[in-house]
Amino acid sequence: MPQHKNIDNQVMRWCEQIKQAQVDQQIIQISGHHSKVLRDAATESLSTAGYEGIVSYEPAELVITVKAGTKLSELKAVLAQHKQMLGFEPPDYGDSTIGGTYACALTGPSRPFRGSLRDFVLGTKLIDGQGRYLSFGGRMIKNVAGYDVSRMLVGSKGSMALVTELSLRVIPLMEERSYQMEMSENEAILLMNQMAGTSLPLSAAAYYEGKFIYRVAGAHPLQTNRVGVTEIDNDIWVRLNPFRPQLPPDVKLWRLDVESTTPAIENTIAVGSCGMRRWVASKDKPNHPYTTLWQAYFAPRHNDTPRVAHLKNGLRDVFDPHHIFKQM
Amino acid sequence: MEVINALKQVLSAESLLTSDEACRPFECDALSAYRERPLAVALPSDVEQVKAVLRICKQYQVPVITRGSGTGLAGGSLPLKDGIVLGLSKLNKILKIDPLQRIAIVQPGVRNIVVSEAVADYGLYYAPDPSSQIACSIGGNVAENSGGVHCLKYGLTVHNVTSIKIVDMDGTESVFDEKDDGIDLLALMNGSEGLLGVIVEIKLKLLPKPEAAQVVMAAFHSVGACADAVTRVLEQGIIPAGLEMMDKFSIMAAEAFAKVGYPTEAEALLLCEVDGSHDQVQVDAKRVADILTQAGAYQIQLSQNEAQRIALWKGRKNAFPAVGRFSPDYYCMDGTIPRSQLAYVLEEIAKLSDKYGLKVANVFHAGDGNLHPLIMYDANKPGELATTEAFGGEILKLCVDVGGTITGEHGVGVEKLNAMCHQYHTPELEIFHGIKAVFDDTGLLNPGKAVPTLHRCAELGHMHVHHGQLAHPHLERF
Repeated sequence: MPQHKNIDNQVMRWCEQIKQAQVDQQIIQISGHHSKVLRDAATESLSTAGYEGIVSYEPAELVITVKAGTKLSELKAVLAQHKQMLGFEPPDYGDSTIGGTYACALTGPSRPFRGSLRDFVLGTKLIDGQGRYLSFGGRMIKNVAGYDVSRMLVGSKGSMALVTELSLRVIPLMEERSYQMEMSENEAILLMNQMAGTSLPLSAAAYYEGKFIYRVAGAHPLQTNRVGVTEIDNDIWVRLNPFRPQLPPDVKLWRLDVESTTPAIENTIAVGSCGMRRWVASKDKPNHPYTTLWQAYFAPRHNDTPRVAHLKNGLRDVFDPHHIFKQM
Repeated sequence: MEVINALKQVLSAESLLTSDEACRPFECDALSAYRERPLAVALPSDVEQVKAVLRICKQYQVPVITRGSGTGLAGGSLPLKDGIVLGLSKLNKILKIDPLQRIAIVQPGVRNIVVSEAVADYGLYYAPDPSSQIACSIGGNVAENSGGVHCLKYGLTVHNVTSIKIVDMDGTESVFDEKDDGIDLLALMNGSEGLLGVIVEIKLKLLPKPEAAQVVMAAFHSVGACADAVTRVLEQGIIPAGLEMMDKFSIMAAEAFAKVGYPTEAEALLLCEVDGSHDQVQVDAKRVADILTQAGAYQIQLSQNEAQRIALWKGRKNAFPAVGRFSPDYYCMDGTIPRSQLAYVLEEIAKLSDKYGLKVANVFHAGDGNLHPLIMYDANKPGELATTEAFGGEILKLCVDVGGTITGEHGVGVEKLNAMCHQYHTPELEIFHGIKAVFDDTGLLNPGKAVPTLHRCAELGHMHVHHGQLAHPHLERF
């Protein structure tokens, strides 16, 4: 029979805080440890920092349920004890929480092979802008009852609801090996796409500092038999994720999401996600539809069509009709 | 009628069906117990015609029920008497295949299997494989977020779609892409059951075909031991490509039908397929066989070649029609449950089976917790369909009560509206209705499906205890 679970006191307090904010016409900024978003002094703060811990975890069900303020480092450590991991390899900006990672939709190098963060979300509990505590999805890998609100809110950056609890699918920790090969950027982009179409069990592919870098999971043919290939430490993927290069003060870092086979783009300093992501360092914004300024704390693009903007505004009104939550 | 006359202006005679005879095949989907004759069936040949039909329906305030191949199992494309069925089967072109990028762009009427066939020469395939994949359309797959036997490892439709183009009642196009920032509207569209927009174009992720696959069959003396064995496989870090379990009745029926050598004396049978590179498959198949033996399997068989592998699957793949031979009709349920609750749930289903006097066969996607009880009944016996539905309703409640859900892959449609009242409370349902209104302020897209009205749930009596829940913090939430 189901576990009886009470709404905890912290959730109750948040519900009250949000309702009160409506009365006071106060804007609330949701944050964790501010590893990705600066504090906005003009708003009231609602921090999930300290709201942490594993709610439930049964390794054989491949599902973990955690409070939103749980640090990624703690979550990874708990999973590693059972030889499991987060399949989306989230970047840790220092004390990053799972809630903030969810809000910013951040996925690491395995994305083209294992999926992005939202692919691993199974359910959420949240408080909407009316201070109502709601539950969407669940702990099941398959669930098509009702709209997929838990996945839809990935990337909402605290602008629609306070997500308090998340259920995530987890995967087995696999033995992986990383390799590198010197070549040109265009050669690497072609090769990584070709290799991704073979049975070689790739789990990451990138191009950085003149080298094609890739990672293979599980049993596979010895890669060092290939001409020019050397094995490198798996640490490379942590060094590239999050990607935080040292740049001159007047140069900005841009994240471009592109088709994986797009040829080399000017001023690119790293290619990630098997060609689907390009990190460009330049003064001016690269002319590309899916470009995000990555220095000013995850600035949004605001390039939606009028219809899509209308849909997003409408959905915001559904979740937060009084506009309590701060917009990015 | 005015709306028909207006539609005649944009559709040719063979693309607009209005006679009883022509409309009959569209009266139901695969949930044939529910039928309704629509006003007309529109079969546009291109996206411009789809837009024109939608604009006309908006002008005349006529509901639109979008339909793919009609293989849905929950009545999601059941027509309305005063509505138009918008059949997308003529939008069946593969618009682009890019083998290097490993993507295909298709129209919604393209059948699931056709995609994998079209890209086979490149060593690629489209992973989600609902059992109806020969007939079902990609558009319908997206609308239902369809699964299949391989989704534990390769995901559902939502995991394999990277971009969608939809059209709304004004005929305006919108594209939702994995590269978008902000909230994930692409994810929202998967499983939205035709209520939020008409899907006119889909970009699919293609995967390299696994080099090798091997299936391990294991027989158990009890359902509990079999469920425990599955747990051990997953605990050991193996993610099988397929992991299917059958109960005694299903084993017997499948063996009688397919004659593949299933041990009919077994209480539970497990089929576990591993795939990947040759090296990995060899390692994994051996490990799976060892784990299952240790977990109490009394008989183990490994497929030694491709023909054997296909033969071992044949029984399972035909389990539904096989069970169907033992009964005039059967009703397929689609709950999901945590695997740890399987033995308990099957016990309870057996008790309900006695209570209602109807037999049940159980097949189970053991890896992802998706249970398909098949209730055997006779639609010609007065009242037996109603009894069957009541029985099914109790099974779905049971699934929710153990922490599961009422539908894993078939969708809510019209079939599970009452069960939705059990799974969700008023505020969540209000959010769902709010989402619908944002995308479709006319309320004309597949009205009445997928999300029950608050009134309906109130009448069912599930709602009153949940009102004012924040004032009563000790009420159970799930």
